[in-house]
Amino acid sequence: MDLNYTEEQKAFRAEVRAWMEAHVPREPLVTLECREGFDQHVEWERTLASGNWGMVTWPEAYGGRGVDLIQWLIFEEEYFRAGGPNRANQNGIFLLGPTIMEFGTDEQKARFLPPMARGELIWAQAWSEPGAGSDMAAIQSRAVRDGDHYVLTGQKTWSSRAAFADWGFGIFRTDPESKRHKGLTFILFDLNTPGITRRPIRQLHGDTGFAELFFDEVRVPVENRLAGEGEGWNVAMATAGFERGLMLRSPGRFQATAKRLVDLYRQHEAEASPAAREAVVQAWGAAQAYAYNTYAVAAKIMAGGKIGAEASLNKIFWSELDRSMHRTALQLLGAAAELKRFADGSMNQWLEGYIFSLSGPIYAGSNEVQRNITAERLLGLPRVGAG
Amino acid sequence: MDFRFTEDQLMLADSVRDYLTGTHGPEVLRRLDAEGARDPAIWNGLVEMGLTGLLVPEDQGGLGMGLVDAVLIAAECGRACVAEPLVDTAFVGVPWLAEICDTADFSAVLTGDRKIAIPHSINPWVADADGEPLESVDPLRKLARGSGEDDPYLLDLGALMSAAQLVGIAGAMLEQATEYAKIRTQFGQPIGAFQAIKHQLASCSVAIEFAKPVVWRAADALDNRLASAPVHVSHAKVAASDAAMLTAETAIQVHGAMGYTYEVDLHFWMKRAWALAGAWGSRAFHLARVDAAVLGGAHPAGPAHTFD
Repeated sequence: MDLNYTEEQKAFRAEVRAWMEAHVPREPLVTLECREGFDQHVEWERTLASGNWGMVTWPEAYGGRGVDLIQWLIFEEEYFRAGGPNRANQNGIFLLGPTIMEFGTDEQKARFLPPMARGELIWAQAWSEPGAGSDMAAIQSRAVRDGDHYVLTGQKTWSSRAAFADWGFGIFRTDPESKRHKGLTFILFDLNTPGITRRPIRQLHGDTGFAELFFDEVRVPVENRLAGEGEGWNVAMATAGFERGLMLRSPGRFQATAKRLVDLYRQHEAEASPAAREAVVQAWGAAQAYAYNTYAVAAKIMAGGKIGAEASLNKIFWSELDRSMHRTALQLLGAAAELKRFADGSMNQWLEGYIFSLSGPIYAGSNEVQRNITAERLLGLPRVGAG
Repeated sequence: MDFRFTEDQLMLADSVRDYLTGTHGPEVLRRLDAEGARDPAIWNGLVEMGLTGLLVPEDQGGLGMGLVDAVLIAAECGRACVAEPLVDTAFVGVPWLAEICDTADFSAVLTGDRKIAIPHSINPWVADADGEPLESVDPLRKLARGSGEDDPYLLDLGALMSAAQLVGIAGAMLEQATEYAKIRTQFGQPIGAFQAIKHQLASCSVAIEFAKPVVWRAADALDNRLASAPVHVSHAKVAASDAAMLTAETAIQVHGAMGYTYEVDLHFWMKRAWALAGAWGSRAFHLARVDAAVLGGAHPAGPAHTFD
């Protein structure tokens, strides 16, 4: 156990810090969940790409820096320390990118990865359907082979970033006789293909971030299929693994929130309840615990280990921590908690953050599903009802 | 930066686990409870493994290991609900005596002839010391009234090692509750198939897995004598106590009425958890130390301060 950074790691931190301090926008961007804000965030992706900071974990061949996991953690710490914006390209960086690297053909890698790294191709994910949420294997949307095309029909929902993104990825049933996990195929599609209708869904905060997607005989070339026909479930599970695993939410994000919460507490110390005070201290501790655990998992992976069902523990922990930190902030704000803008005109980011935090325990596999996975795969309790 | 134990550290912990699994099962706890709580044969076994000399410097015949090695072994002692004063003697007493250069007894510690119980003003009583006896809820814990030293390093050692035992105890209770949920059948299926049971046990798993690295980090901080070590030790004590208390309450609930009996072994671990949660500084004491450092600003918060 060596909990000291090397000189090289310290130098990397200094390099990231200097760049972020020079480039992170002084004023917070407009929310990602509207046209104006989305465009601002895409612009930020291009700024990041200009410094080659967009996809630090990707190999250099695909436009990344090929940094190891410890450097990635340092990058993320500095990113959130500087108040870096949310990533419009999240789906591409951590979900689709690694999946294409693992399952894609050389042609697909050359076609999709460099533009993603340059911030020119923003991806939406299309997993859920009205009848397939937590039970994702109940997918019904079809892809019927017709010559050198697939014809997509059906409906996807809760498709994040889909209101404004360029391309989407999802799984479709290619074998109409198949059931559950079999007969599904992973397909990439241009969201502007004729036959695709996007219906933005107004979210809890009133803006539109995700969307419903309707597919009406949408023709997609066969070369947009990732991996083999019928292998979609395994590819999707690998993607979901990346997402729930180490990379969806790096600790820097929550440490930054905990820090802001400590600062907020100091402003409201006079009227704060002892319970809120304890919650602030616990928030610091939990964000630190999440960071330690992530460093430990990163060290394990770098030594050749793998992250398996433990990823479910991570997802439960950070999502419930995030909600609790924002709830505490609203308690500290008291009457001002309801204001969308404070009296001085600044955005109430705690309110926005609280609303967003409520989605954490739901998306990327609800925490109920994560607790089932924990109980069944880590503790070995009997599986019931899962196909 | 490498937040991992070495292969050697893990192998030593595994061998202690195997030894305790083979020689220190629940039947031993029941026997000790009936016969008087201490058994020289158990103590001698631990001594023969070299565990009392783990932190004794090599030039004094010990293994010269550090607190990071010791927390793993303390966790194993918690897991097996060891009542012999190995942790107090070897992982609290020895490093404290080394600190104050009082090493005269180290050879007797190595041979097992000397057990160490150091009173501290934070504890109104001491385990395994001479003096007016007090009865603990833990039937295997032998308490005597007394208080003494007021040293912060000793306090940190005691709190750290309590935290390490607590994560081991919590893991053992989770295992027992999980095994019970697999075999206890109601409504035609094992109760562990019900999500109401699964989700409670999964929540314990989350609490334990995120308490562990806090304890390991505290051990490293104290071993390296970082100025921030007391904050990390207190953080560890709170996180480990909370995980153990949650798991104790969940485990008894999963056992149902059986969990409320003296017959089911769970109570030994549960009572040890209750005892250690308050020993070497209460939850309020340790929370206040973290509070003072973090809210007071002496300890920096935020990303890029992970290992400060």
